[in-house]
Order: sequence, then C-alpha cells, then structure tokens
Amino acid sequence: MNILEVRNLKKSFGSIQAVKDISFSVEEGEIFTIIGPNGAGKTTTLEMIEGLVTPDHGEIQFGELNWNKHTITIKKKIGVQPQSSAMFDLLSPEENLNLFATFYDKARSTEEILKLVNLTEHRVNQVKKLSGGQRQRLAIGLAMISDPDIVFLDEPTTGLDPQARRNVWEIILELKKLGKTTILTTHYMEEAEKLSDRVCIVDQGLVVTLDSPSALIEKLTNEREVRLSFLDGEKAAQDAELFASALDSVTRTEREGTALKLWTIKPEDLLFDLFKFTKDKEYQVEQVSIREMSLEDVFIAYTGKEWRD
Amino acid sequence: MNNLKQFKQMFLAQLKLTLREKQAWFWGIFFPVILMVIFMTIFGGRSNDDFSTKVAIVNESSNETSAVMAKQLRQIPIIEVSQKDPISEKKAKVLVKEKEVDAAIVLPESAKATSIKLIVNKENEQSVSTQVVAGVLNQFIQQANLQAVGAAPTFEQQFETISSGSSELEYTDFLLTGMIALSIAQGGLFGMVDLVDMRRKGLIKRLRMTPAKMGIFGLSDMVMRLLFSTIQIILLSLIGVFVFGANLFINFPSLLLVFLMGALSFNGIGYLISSFSNTNEAYMGVANIVSFLMMFVSGIFFPVETMPDWLQPVSNILPLTYFADGLRDSMVYNTSILSTPLWYGFCIMLLWGGIAFIIGSLLYKRKSIVSVR
Ligand SMILES: Nc1ncnc2c1ncn2[C@@H]1O[C@H](COP(=O)(O)OP(=O)(O)OP(=O)(O)O)[C@@H](O)[C@H]1O
Ligand SMILES: [Mg+2]
Repeated sequence: MNILEVRNLKKSFGSIQAVKDISFSVEEGEIFTIIGPNGAGKTTTLEMIEGLVTPDHGEIQFGELNWNKHTITIKKKIGVQPQSSAMFDLLSPEENLNLFATFYDKARSTEEILKLVNLTEHRVNQVKKLSGGQRQRLAIGLAMISDPDIVFLDEPTTGLDPQARRNVWEIILELKKLGKTTILTTHYMEEAEKLSDRVCIVDQGLVVTLDSPSALIEKLTNEREVRLSFLDGEKAAQDAELFASALDSVTRTEREGTALKLWTIKPEDLLFDLFKFTKDKEYQVEQVSIREMSLEDVFIAYTGKEWRD
Repeated sequence: MNNLKQFKQMFLAQLKLTLREKQAWFWGIFFPVILMVIFMTIFGGRSNDDFSTKVAIVNESSNETSAVMAKQLRQIPIIEVSQKDPISEKKAKVLVKEKEVDAAIVLPESAKATSIKLIVNKENEQSVSTQVVAGVLNQFIQQANLQAVGAAPTFEQQFETISSGSSELEYTDFLLTGMIALSIAQGGLFGMVDLVDMRRKGLIKRLRMTPAKMGIFGLSDMVMRLLFSTIQIILLSLIGVFVFGANLFINFPSLLLVFLMGALSFNGIGYLISSFSNTNEAYMGVANIVSFLMMFVSGIFFPVETMPDWLQPVSNILPLTYFADGLRDSMVYNTSILSTPLWYGFCIMLLWGGIAFIIGSLLYKRKSIVSVR
C-alpha cells in the first residue's frame, strides 16, 4: 500500500527552478532514499512534502490525507529531522525531548528514545556540548518522539565519521524493524545501497531513475569487469589476453603491462577457462577481482556526469 | 487542559534558557546596575554642591523676630551662610557685588517690621541659585506670616519638608526611575534577538513541523520576559533605596499598568526589528541605534526640560519618555491610576507597540519563515 504519493511537484525560487518535476510513491514500511548532488532539490522536495513549502504545482497525498484539509493529523503522523538539525542548544537532550513530547497528545517516553538513539549517557549535557554525531542522533530522536508512522531524515549522516555514520545506519534499520516508513536523503551512494529498499536518484530537480538498488545496477548492464595481474611478466599477460579475446563470453579486453582487464557477461565461466589456461602454461596469477557495479555507475550512466560526494 | 500543560512545559523551557543565557544576565541585570551606580555616584554627589547657595545674612538691629529667623535660615541645608555673625547691609551689598556670596538676606529691623529683603547681583537675577533662595525665602515668609496670625505649624516641620524635597534626593529618584525604564526598554528592544537566532538556526521552522501551538510558545516567551523585567525593577529599586537613599512612594495599580504597557511596547518594537533582520548582527545594530537615540532624548539621565527647545518635540513622541514619566509618577509621586497624563502616556506607548507589532507580523508573513535558510 502506498503511504505517500507525490505527483508532479514543481517549485521555483525566483529564477531558480529548484524542483522541476518530481513524482514518486512510497510504500508502507520501506526505506526510501532520495539521492542526488548538492542543489538537486532534495531538501526542497522534502519540505514540500512536510508542509513547510507550498508547491507551485503538484499533489501530495498521505493515503487519504492532504495538507489542505488535514494539517494537524498529518503533523501528528510524521516525524522530521531537518537538514539543519535545529534544537534548543541550551537545553539537554532530555529536556529537548521532554519539551517536544508536550507538543503531541501521545508521545513515546524520553527514556525509550534516549536508548534508541544511544544518548542515555549524555542525557543531561547541554546540546551545545554534544558532538556532531550525537547532535544528529538527538535530531533523529526528536523526530521519533511522537512515535510517527513516517519519518523524514534529511541527510542524517552528512559530516559524520564512519563510526558515527554506522551508528546512524543502525538506528535507521531499527526504525524499519519497528515498522516505520523512512524517507531519507543522502549524498552517499554506499549508504543508499546499504539501507534502502528503493532509491530515487534526482538531479537538477528531476527524477533520474527510481528502483531498488540491485535492480538499478542490473538494469544498467550485466557486464562485469574482471581484473588480473601476472607475476611472469608482460608475455604472460599478452598470452592470456589473446586467449581470452578468443572466448565468446568476453566482449572487450584491455592491458597495461602485466595488468589485464576483461569485460564479460559470464565472469564465472571466464575465470574457469582462464585458470585452466594459466595452469597449463604454468603462469602465476595474483590479484584476481570481479568489480561490482555500484549506484555510482548508475548515476554516471544516466547523467553522463562524474559522481562526487 | 492540554494547552495548560504545553504552556507549563514551554515556560519551564524558557526559564531554563534564560537562566543559562549568561549574556541576558550581564546586559539585563549587571550592566544597568553598574550604570546606575556610576551615574548616581557622579551626579548624585555633584548636584548637592550645585544647589547650595552662599548667602549673607544682614541683621542690623537685632530683635526677637530676626534672631529666630537667622537661626532658622542657618538650618536650611541648601543655604550656606557665609559669616558666623550677621553683617551690615552695606557690607553685604559689597559682597554681593563682588560675587563673594550669591545673595544677601536682610532681616526685619524690628519685631514689628514685616519685610524681608533679598539682595542679589543683577547679573545673577535669573540664575538657579537666586531662584532657589527666593523660593526658600518665600516659603519661609509664608510660615512666618502664618505664625504671626497664630495659626502656626512649627518652623521645624516646614524645614524638613523642604530638605526632603531638596534637589539631591530628587535626582536620585529621577535617575533610579529613569534607569528602571531604560533597562526594561532595552530588555524588550534587545531581547527579541532570540527570535532572529531561532529563525536563523531553523528552530522556528522545526517547531512549525510539530503540532505545537505557536501562540502558546509566544505567550510563554512573553511571560518569561515580564518576569525578567520584574527582577530588574525590584533589584534596581532595592539598590536605589538602600544604597542611594531614594524615596519611593509607590502606587501599585499604576505601576503595574505602566510596567505592562512599557514592557509590551518595547517588546513590540523589538519584534518589528527582528522581522527585517536576517542576522543577529543586523538586529543588534538597529536595536543599538534605536536604544542610543532614545536614551538621550527621553529624559532618562536629565529632565527633558533641560534639553534644547528644538529637540523637545522629538522627546514628546518617543515611548521611552512616557515610560520613564509613568514610572516616576507611579513609583515616586504615588499618582493614581485615574490620572490623565498617565493614560495619555499609555496611549502613546500602546500606539508604538501596537503599530510595531502589526508591521512586524506583516513582514513575517510576507517573507514566510521557511525562505530563510
Ligand atoms: N529559499 C530559497 N530561496 C532561493 N533559492 C533556494 C531556496 N531554497 C532552495 N533554493 C535553491 O534551490 C535549489 C535546490 O535546493 P535544495 O536545498 O532543495 O537542494 P538539496 O538537494 O537539498 O541540496 P543539498 O544536498 O546541498 O542539501 C538550490 O539551487 C538552492 O539554491
Ligand atoms: Mg538538502
């Protein structure tokens, strides 16, 4: 069932078309990731969905509900962690959570949330003394205080070190276990691949493509890149290249000194044949790898642009 | 019920925020106290010298009446009698001419005589000291007349009234009430910087994503500000009364209303400034200019009447003038809540606060809080 449906959203700020045309729907219980470079229109899209920015055009439906008629009901159903994780710096995490809890009729206990976002130890420190990662986790906690059905996280891991980022990932996966629907934005392809059920790639205010990470990569191509290097000098590599290019499954080869790159649609068969060949010739092979395609390749394939974090 | 709970929690949060904001305490409490102490020490002391006048007493044919009068005159604090013993009129005239003394008082020549003569230098005819001596002498004569017809209160009592109304004490009261007005006004004017800060950090946006009632949030904020101003007024009054001997004669209903009107008015102006300031610095710049201009033309440190004539119309439209006057009326003169000037002041303050608030709200609406990232 679709818990959220967005159709043909458009928004301009003066002469800047921040969102040109964005449509998607989100299913209940999934982690839905919007990924795109700086200025792609992610935050603007989220803010329209969150009811903060009025779209110039388009529709936003939360099941049966929409912003015109059900403002308060929707506000109670959603939890938001904005990009600028805004909170009261002079209050402690506990006090922030307690204050936000009073805004809702029913709220989860502060205790529970502190545990969920792993801040029990820092409950009484003023927020201004927290680290970036702790702050970010509190922002997620504040989004969770009302026990919302849908959680919006705008770049929850930007600027965090790998350990802190992994902590946030755990929290997000925890939300999924609780049956929440999570919509998050990110710059990190790795993050989108790891966490999301479905990924929506946006660029310059438009949806580039949308599907599950594995489907996106599969759709892109079923070619794999295999890399090997030879210990017995260029001659060995040359022989191997010659052998491989004669195979049906190999579409392309490339050699640089003793390093060989082969493109194939059947990497397992290729390796089987190739190792038989090198064993006969008594060539020694080191560093064998099959490179997986990633979402970055998807982005490059669709936009023709290099991906930068 | 839920609203009350929300208000309680929001107020509690505001209380904590204020308690933890060191800047607020420095500028709101510590700074006005220091400023008041400095001003009172400098000007409170000097005005005493300014207003005491050197006088020579002429008592050519000493008699019963003149002896009593001479004794009484010597007891008036602001009249400083130059010679121990009375001198002749001729000698006194020389002293006045050479400006050795500000004035000479010629006492009655006999018990039956009814005139007291005041001799002053022509050049000094309009001077403050002449006015003071003439005023005092006038009081003095009236009392003497009363006594002469047998309806006399004692001289002693009359002198006490004069002394407690002497200029030094009046200035202490004047400055105390002025400082209270100034600190409450600045509290409102500068305090709204919080709003700019909250908007800049996206906190207002964050709150609007929740079902929180922004009206209740505003109310809790306002109550906190009034509480802070109450602390200011009490603290400054205590210091004024116990350290500098100010005389307060408070009419509480009037004071309460003046206080509310003033605080709301200046918070309204602060709100307006916050609506068009995108950074804390911009806000503080505007607030500083406004506060600086008002401070010197609104009769905080010196009476409006002492300012150049062309500036007085400006004073007469500024809210701080009426706030300070209102505080003086309600804290020093025990003016009843029914007094017309008080209500005239309320109207002016309300007009400023109200108009500022309305324009501020319109500006806020127009640029929509979200557009500020
Ligand atoms: N209030 C605004 N006024 C003017 N321009 C805006 C405003 N908000 C966003 N924009 C512009 O719209 C475009 C999209 O911005 P948006 O914040 O949605 O991008 P984003 O994908 O969230 O980027 P980032 O990854 O940097 O957060 C940008 O060019 C931005 O400058
Ligand atoms: Mg963004």
